[in-house]
Amino acid sequence: MSGGDTLQVEVTAIERITPLIKHFTLRPVDGAPLPAFSGGSHIVVVMRDTHRVHRNPYSLLSPPSDRAAYQIAVRRMEESRGGSQFMHDQLVVGGRLEIAHPVNLFPLDKIARKHVLIAGGIGITPFLAQLEDLHDGAIPYELHYAVRSPEHAAFHERLRTREGTRLRLYYDSEAQAIDYDGLLSNQPLGTHVYVCGPAGMINRVIETARRWGWPDSHVHWEKFSPPPVGDAFEVFLARAKIAVQVLPDQSLLEAIEGAGVEVPYLCRGGVCGFCQTRVLELDGELLHHDHYLSDADKARGKSIMPCVSRATCKHLVLDL
Amino acid sequence: MLVTGIKSKPVYAPLRADSGGRHHLLLGSGPGTQPLLQVLAQLRQDAPEALARSRVLFVPETAADADAGFAAFSAVGVSDVRRHAEPGPLLVEFESLLADAVMGLRLYVAGPESFIGLAMKIALQFNLNTDEIRAQECGSTARRVRCVHCRATTEDVRTNIVECIGCRRWLLVRDHYSRRLAAYMGVMVDAETPGERPAIREVFP
Repeated sequence: MSGGDTLQVEVTAIERITPLIKHFTLRPVDGAPLPAFSGGSHIVVVMRDTHRVHRNPYSLLSPPSDRAAYQIAVRRMEESRGGSQFMHDQLVVGGRLEIAHPVNLFPLDKIARKHVLIAGGIGITPFLAQLEDLHDGAIPYELHYAVRSPEHAAFHERLRTREGTRLRLYYDSEAQAIDYDGLLSNQPLGTHVYVCGPAGMINRVIETARRWGWPDSHVHWEKFSPPPVGDAFEVFLARAKIAVQVLPDQSLLEAIEGAGVEVPYLCRGGVCGFCQTRVLELDGELLHHDHYLSDADKARGKSIMPCVSRATCKHLVLDL
Repeated sequence: MLVTGIKSKPVYAPLRADSGGRHHLLLGSGPGTQPLLQVLAQLRQDAPEALARSRVLFVPETAADADAGFAAFSAVGVSDVRRHAEPGPLLVEFESLLADAVMGLRLYVAGPESFIGLAMKIALQFNLNTDEIRAQECGSTARRVRCVHCRATTEDVRTNIVECIGCRRWLLVRDHYSRRLAAYMGVMVDAETPGERPAIREVFP
C-alpha cells in the first residue's frame, strides 16, 4: 500500500507451468514470517525495470497458513506495458522484489451455504488459496475451470488430485463450454458465486446470475484491468501546485507517483476505489476505465480513479 | 435510560415488489395480507410472468377473513396460496420451503413485528441477505423478550417491565435487539434495590 511499509522478498523458485504462465515463490529477505492473509488476497509487486517502475497486482495462490513464502503465478501478456514481461524475461532465482502487504478484495462469504467458483485461465489463482480454506468440508463447493487447451491448464494435476469430483475442467480446444444457465438456475438458497477470468466470462456470469434472479450480494468477481494506453495529456495537481505529463503508456497514477506525489492505492486495477480522486476543474472528457464508480458518478465527472482512468482534455485539475 | 438510544432495533420500510427476483415468497400475518396484495399487484404490472412463480403463506386476521384472503390473492393472479391458523405452523412450512428453494428467491414479510423477527431469524439461517428480503411492520408491536439471566423468552410483551416466564425476575425491556434470537433483551429491573420498580405501562401496543 502506498505510504505503508513494503516487504522485501527474494525469488527462491521459478517454474514454467504452462506455455504462458510462470509460478514464482517469494521468501522474505529478513526471514521473518510474512503477514497473514486470507484466500482471495492479492499483493502489489513493485518491479524496478531499467527505465520505469511497474506495480502490478497478483493474487496469492499459496496456502494462507504458509507464512514462510508467498506464491504467485504470472501470465505473460504480449500486448501490455511490460510488467508481466519483466516477471517472465528478466527475473531470475535470487532476484529481489518489493511487495505491498496483502489486501483481500475477493473474500469468500463467511456464512454462505455453498460456494460456486468459476475460473478462466490465470483467473484460477485466487481460488487456489481459497480452496485451502474450504478443504475442511464444512461448506459444499464446486470449481469450474475453463482453459484454452489441456497444456494451458495450470495447476490441473494438483486440482484434480485434491478436488476430485468437485472440479470440472473445460477445454476450449475441445469445444467444452460452461453451461452458465444450468449452473446458476438451480443452486440452493444461500449459494454465492465467484468468478475470476476474462472480461467476457465475468460479464456472462453477472448477466446470467441476474437473469436467474440472483441478488448482487451473492455474486462476486475480480478483474484487475491493466491501465489502458491512450493519448498523452497534462494534469495539474492543485495542492502540490505542479503540472504532470501523462505519457501514452503510463497510467495517471504512475505519472503522479513519478512526480513525487503519493496517492493511496490498494489494487491498481480499478476495483477497490481506494485511489478515488476529486476532479476540481475539467475542460474535456474523463475516460473512466474502473469498475468502482457508478455510471451516474462517471457521468457526473467529479471523481476519477487514476490507477486505470485517463482523460482527453485541454485542462484538468485534481485535488492532490 | 436503558431503553433508548440503541440502534439495533430493526427498521422496516413499506413493501415494494422486486421484479429482479425469479421466485417470490410472501408471508403475511393478520393485517399483513394487505401489503402483500399490493406487492403482487405491482409484480403483475412490472413482471406478470413472475406471478406463476409466486407463493403466499398467510394467517388471516380472523377465521372469517380466510375466504376473502383466498379470493383477493386469486383476483390478483396468484394461485399458490396456503393458509395457516397460527404464525407458528406457517413459519414451520416457511422453513421447509427455504430448505428446497433455489437462488433467485425474493422474500416479502408483512405483519406484527415479532412475526417479522421470527421469519428473519429463519431467513438468516439460509444466508438470505438484505437485498433478498423486504419486510413491512403492521399490527402489534408486542415484543419477544429474552431474559439475559435465565435465557427464557417471554412472548407477546406489551409493557415496559415484564415478569420473566422462566425465572420470575422482573425485566426491563430494552431496545437491544438480537436478529439471531429474534428477541429484545430483558434485564432485571430491581437488581440494585429488590422490590423497587418503576410503574408498569403499556408501551408496545
